[in-house]
Amino acid sequence: MGLAIAGYAESTGLLRETYDRMLQRPLPPIYRPQHGGPAGIIQAHGLDPELIPKVFGTSTTLNGVGPLGWADRELINAITSRLNQCFY
Amino acid sequence: MIADPRAVASRWPVARVRVLAELAVIVTETPWLPAPVTNLTDDEVLHAIALSAYFGHLNRIADAVGVPLDYTVRHLPPHAEPATPPLVAASRTVVATLDRLAKRGPTALALVAWREHVFERDAPLALRQRAMIARHVGALLGHAVDGATPASSIDAMLVELAEVVTLAPWKLCASVFAPLRATGYDDAALFDACVVASTAGVLSRITVALSALDR
Repeated sequence: MGLAIAGYAESTGLLRETYDRMLQRPLPPIYRPQHGGPAGIIQAHGLDPELIPKVFGTSTTLNGVGPLGWADRELINAITSRLNQCFY
Repeated sequence: MIADPRAVASRWPVARVRVLAELAVIVTETPWLPAPVTNLTDDEVLHAIALSAYFGHLNRIADAVGVPLDYTVRHLPPHAEPATPPLVAASRTVVATLDRLAKRGPTALALVAWREHVFERDAPLALRQRAMIARHVGALLGHAVDGATPASSIDAMLVELAEVVTLAPWKLCASVFAPLRATGYDDAALFDACVVASTAGVLSRITVALSALDR
């Protein structure tokens, strides 16, 4: 068992505001979680709400733009994830 | 799901796919080694290196908190095998800076903001401890930096945790956190320690891999 996940339902204050801002970000339907809340990887950062826009602001500069296209980016992410023995 | 990343890097029939896969392998495992960049533009190489380093952070945080999947998938990846040996520490160093990333301005600016948030505050971890962890992680990944000598038993535990985050994130679990937890570290402090190590890893992987291209 790892560290606590500060989920959307129990979030308050800055964390809730941050989650709500993240939910308003444009996101391709394929990446929208079925549970309707913020993606699990965002909630995984919930112990430090101020970190969330830093990390996912970086993501926006890497995943929404080129020069590498979507398939290339998914290839790199999948290879990296597998080497790190991570299911994410 | 990719079962064998190294097979993709070495045997995939499309050269461009092989090169991108090999880049991700090198950034993740041995960023101090020169990466293959044939068939890619400079901007594509920069993008691939930054993306792989960034995604490695997501992997580490996902492992630290044990986050569940958001959706059902047809082909689940295999569970992490805890006995998998750690990645190897750097066998040589390079002098690395973020300068080359300036060609990708928005990413460079975002990383600077991220770095400032993580390294320029004094709680839960002290500034000194953040710098110590960053130096240690940098050395593990081939960044030519001064050594990081722990000043206390807690510092030594932080360095030990940083090594797991950097070289064996699949081993992150309650028993890895237990020594620091026994000294009074709560989830927020343990998360801070993981984030410091992981962020240092992102920055070092990018800077070292980019600098190794020049060798």
